[in-house]
Amino acid sequence: MTQKHEPGECRCSRGLTRRGFLSTVGAGVAVASAAGKLAAQPAASQGADVLPSAEMTPITLNINGRTHRLLVEPRWSLLFVLRERLGLTGTKVGCERGECGACTVLMDDLPRYACMTLAVEAQGSEITTLEGLMRGEELGGVQQAFVEEDAFQCGYCTPGQIMAVEGLLRAHPEPSQEEIQMGLSGNLCRCGAYVHIFKAAGRAAQLKRGQ
Amino acid sequence: MSKKEIYAVKGLSVPETPASAQEPKPWKQTQMVGKGIPRVDAYERVSGTAVYPSDVLLPDMIYGAVLRCPHPHAQVKKVDVEAASKMPGVRAVITGDTPEARVEWTYSKEARSSLFDPHCRFEGEPVAAVAAETPYQAEDALRAIRVEYDVLPFVVDERDALKENAPSVHGAGNVLKTEKYERGQVDRGFREADVVLEENYRTECQLHTPMELHGCVAKWDGDRLTLWESTQGVYAVQAEVAEVLKLPLSKVRVVGHYMGGGFGSKLKAGKYTVIAALLAKKSARPVKLFLTREETYLAVGNRPPNNMRLKAGVKKDGTLTALDFSCTGTGGAYPSGGTSLVDWLVRDLYKCPNVRTECTDIAIHTGPARPFRAPGHPQGAWVLEQMMDALAEAIKMDPVELRLKNIPNFSQGKEGNPPYSSTGLKQCLEEGAKAFQWKVARSKALAPGETGRIKRGVGMASCLWVVGGGWPPSTVILKLFPDGSLNLNMGASDIGTGTKTVMALVAAEELGIPLGKIEIEHADTGTTQYATPSGGSKTVPTEAPTVRAAAISVKQQLLEMASKELKLDAASLVFQEGSIAPAKDPSKSVKITDLSELKKRGVVVGIGYRGPNPENKAIIPFAAQFCEVEVNTKTGEVKILRFVSTNDSGRVMDRLTYDSQVIGGITMGIGLAMTEYRVLDRDQTGRMLNRNWHDYKLPTALDVPLEMTSLPVDREDSQANSVGAKGLGEPVTIPTAPAIANAVYNATGIRITETPISPERLCRLLAEKRKEG
Amino acid sequence: MLPNFSYVRPKSLDEAVRHLDSPENRIHAGGTDLLGCLRERVFGVAKIVSLSGIQELKGITETAEGGLRIGALATLREIAESPLIRSKYPVLAQGAAEAASPQLRNQGTLGGNLCQKPRCWYYRGDFHCLRKGGDLCYAMVGENAFHCILGGDACYIVHPSDTAPALVALGATVRITGAGGPRTVPVEEFFVPPTQDLTRETVLEHNEILTEILLPPPPQGLRSSYRKVRARRSWDFALAGVALALQFRGEEVAGGRVVLSGAAPIPWRSVEVEEVILGKRLDAETISAAAEAVVKNAEPLAQNDYKLPLFRAIVEEELSAIAKV
Repeated sequence: MTQKHEPGECRCSRGLTRRGFLSTVGAGVAVASAAGKLAAQPAASQGADVLPSAEMTPITLNINGRTHRLLVEPRWSLLFVLRERLGLTGTKVGCERGECGACTVLMDDLPRYACMTLAVEAQGSEITTLEGLMRGEELGGVQQAFVEEDAFQCGYCTPGQIMAVEGLLRAHPEPSQEEIQMGLSGNLCRCGAYVHIFKAAGRAAQLKRGQ
Repeated sequence: MSKKEIYAVKGLSVPETPASAQEPKPWKQTQMVGKGIPRVDAYERVSGTAVYPSDVLLPDMIYGAVLRCPHPHAQVKKVDVEAASKMPGVRAVITGDTPEARVEWTYSKEARSSLFDPHCRFEGEPVAAVAAETPYQAEDALRAIRVEYDVLPFVVDERDALKENAPSVHGAGNVLKTEKYERGQVDRGFREADVVLEENYRTECQLHTPMELHGCVAKWDGDRLTLWESTQGVYAVQAEVAEVLKLPLSKVRVVGHYMGGGFGSKLKAGKYTVIAALLAKKSARPVKLFLTREETYLAVGNRPPNNMRLKAGVKKDGTLTALDFSCTGTGGAYPSGGTSLVDWLVRDLYKCPNVRTECTDIAIHTGPARPFRAPGHPQGAWVLEQMMDALAEAIKMDPVELRLKNIPNFSQGKEGNPPYSSTGLKQCLEEGAKAFQWKVARSKALAPGETGRIKRGVGMASCLWVVGGGWPPSTVILKLFPDGSLNLNMGASDIGTGTKTVMALVAAEELGIPLGKIEIEHADTGTTQYATPSGGSKTVPTEAPTVRAAAISVKQQLLEMASKELKLDAASLVFQEGSIAPAKDPSKSVKITDLSELKKRGVVVGIGYRGPNPENKAIIPFAAQFCEVEVNTKTGEVKILRFVSTNDSGRVMDRLTYDSQVIGGITMGIGLAMTEYRVLDRDQTGRMLNRNWHDYKLPTALDVPLEMTSLPVDREDSQANSVGAKGLGEPVTIPTAPAIANAVYNATGIRITETPISPERLCRLLAEKRKEG
Repeated sequence: MLPNFSYVRPKSLDEAVRHLDSPENRIHAGGTDLLGCLRERVFGVAKIVSLSGIQELKGITETAEGGLRIGALATLREIAESPLIRSKYPVLAQGAAEAASPQLRNQGTLGGNLCQKPRCWYYRGDFHCLRKGGDLCYAMVGENAFHCILGGDACYIVHPSDTAPALVALGATVRITGAGGPRTVPVEEFFVPPTQDLTRETVLEHNEILTEILLPPPPQGLRSSYRKVRARRSWDFALAGVALALQFRGEEVAGGRVVLSGAAPIPWRSVEVEEVILGKRLDAETISAAAEAVVKNAEPLAQNDYKLPLFRAIVEEELSAIAKV
């Protein structure tokens, strides 16, 4: 437990021989992306592996339809990994306490706070970030609706708002006004764009239905 | 510190373009300006490709963190960083003992301090900082730093700070200054009144908490420092950092293309900016240092709490005879405008010959204030607009009527009583009342016989903002390329208000270039032109005329080129839709893209400077807001049902972003009125208790009404500047809180004189009222 | 930023229990409360034992007797949206829907909601308070507008859960598994008031896991509801709340419970209100007497006396509403 480590010179003693093919993740952003099984599979008889404290352990995350294998400390949040290790900075950081919604992503289609989710815990879920709503360089329906209704000002809470609307529409393709307000009640906007965001959510529902 | 000094420089003479003789006339009909065109940077903001400073990732970048004093008042005796320095991943540690970190810091002109001041006068003063490979390791290291403090007596409430034996913040008493203002004969004014009312009020401390945290990424290339900072003004940050670190301005490049909100708290650099630079220097690595959310509650500003008293006299016909206002407030531990502009509306909004104000700024052991959207005004409006409501009731006059009776056409508060370049307050009141159906709604709410526990009420309030119209300096460069596309280069930040979009519209309007061919470079001291920070509702009226001037310069040069090409006098040529033609024979036109000189030169550069404002004119935006609420008269729960906001901000430059500002201002005002206030552990530790977004409550999507109507009084102010806009960002939030308070009064008969109008407060007051019968 | 810890995601309950061999090892269900506490350093941690790999802790199913078995990992969203719960036990669905925010309801579990730590800002903040082993309850003389008016003793927290009052009202029980084997505890007895033990909030031992929540079949004539007052309409804990689960015989209240949130360190069963309404029709007189009874024994602190009229108001409001159902 007290073993020191240096990120950037991974010494994952427990895993390196078995998982030596993994590219080392340094302080930069490059990560191997490949198909593969869950990295930290338990040995069947002894139960699940204990990922050691303060050490880098390989994990596999499914993000926007791609498989990312990377090294993390058990305490790293999904938010930190997305932004600072994978460079997916569409997901924003506002509080790291589950109190603002700027880091909202979808996990298996449900909006969640990436700041309150350990990266190790996100294994096995399909994670969708703002970047995952793009169709190539084209905006997705919710994004387009936000543009049309000017549903933001500074734009920093916007990715989280968009993901909340995306999650809402995946569950309720034709949401009522009340469902829209409720669906967005986990995302703060300090610029106060809520009323335009409600409109954008309604417009997005139309766009998604091809109207 | 006056609002103006925050953003601009006084007594500056700048070249004016075009020369005065060629002052551009107001646009007659606009093609682009004033329409509802989606933002030019909307794609970037919704796709995630916009790189905000906190998104910046650099090769080899490490992470900074700041250790802060946990006491409101303490002397640092010793800082032991030995263990921390040896922690995994730690690359740099700095404290007040680090030679490079012994630099001065100026919270305000009156009180100098140092970067790591051992005398900590508020909870959250930096004591040490580290940089490590991950932010997790940086925090591990912070927790390993051992600090010995002499914990000193504190006072964290300005109402306690003037008591005998109160601990002193700067030695001697805690009064920083008292400002007095008087006109006319106030006592005689009260004698002439038919009704005189007097009341105490208080507004609580409000925190900015923009969504993007305060901070930057700092990187050195030899002696050159680059900062990607979340800021409202890159040049302001450059100036401050260069001064503190004794660097030439040219060696400090500040980039802030996008930023996630500031509301006044990011007008300047922070200690964190300098700390990041020092950590980067020491570690020889780029350093990302963004505060935690909790830190932003302690150390990067607030709207000061104010205790106010107003005595007002009115005649039965609605004539105001006298206003006597006093207030105390606090900007915290360093002078930072604890009462700045709180009395302005009392001085200036309504016609009144006899006015006296007295404002006392007090020091306490809390984080220094920073300008917060319309400094002083929402506090003053809370007082004046509730008093107007009470006066109207006392003389049995409609509150809108009372205000209409007292509209001045010149500024009574400004020196020399300059006339307003334009005033749309009357229109705001009349058109707002009409759109809201004020009379009908009010009579319904007042209808007798309603016995249910849910009661409705309507309320309204109006305002002005002390300085509209923008002012110099500003420089904008336009580059027109031979293919007819345009590059717009300006130093101003777009803090979310749509600045970039408005500037593109102005250039497009003037030059007939489609928006899609305009590219904007902005907010970068290395590559764009000087601009003051974006804030104070002055960005559009400052920058838009500058852009227009630059566009006219481009036009003039193109006319010269065409004149050579067509062998005609330039004065006989006109500019039309991408071509230039003789005024008398439009068929002989030449396309701009066909101008051979433009092709040869490769570019035409137009430079615009912001000219001075007209002399002896007050350029002031006005507004009125109307709202309807529903009150549960047993629990004190208030539901806001709808809002109408009418604004006279001169010409509407872009309708979409205009409306966005209006609804945003109302939403922020709802926060001040209903849920936002700082809680300090006043009697025990002096520490802040609600330093997070759960305990400090911003309005959520369920706390705003679905119905918010923005109704611009769209009249260009041709005297103000060449685009006719006066500024919008502040007036949209000033009248909101008192409008709600007036509506709650209308519903319950209870006058809420202190923010917030929480169920805690209202439920208690309702119960007391029932007891009284 | 979180402190260091090791992490394991066992596949079975037995395995999970084996990992709970130290009080420094913490259970991670949804994680929303755990990670918040760790960020604030409310308590230490050595190992995080995640339950998310254990399938048997999930799901909502009807029992043979017509009751309901809710896996501890059922999320608040699942509770709020379950047609079964909405129709048979509306008070629980409403409580779950009123908790936290949509994202937190997608992640937070019913088990976690029962086991969450208090929300007192001294306890959550950097204060070595009584509950954390210090010798002072800062709230007693400090900022206590959001603290308890009933059941406080040396410590004045309020229990933050919106689902717990519903479960107490419904007479639910919880199943617990641990090193010492399984046991069943009524939810009413699951919570530990400060009068009993200042250092814990529930009877759960560090090596025990709450595995499921059992709801008895809804009795004849059951009507239930939850009402919550808060400073803002989302993401906020109760200033005052009342969960009703009453059995009506005709228009008469034949049985049931009245449980308060935002009132006390534990979900607070208001025996005083129950006594007033039992065997009565909910007419104006009874309701008014019940409203008075709810705060009969309250002892407000310096800043929270508003809770007295507030509780009176919502008891009156909710009893009037449920009488009309």
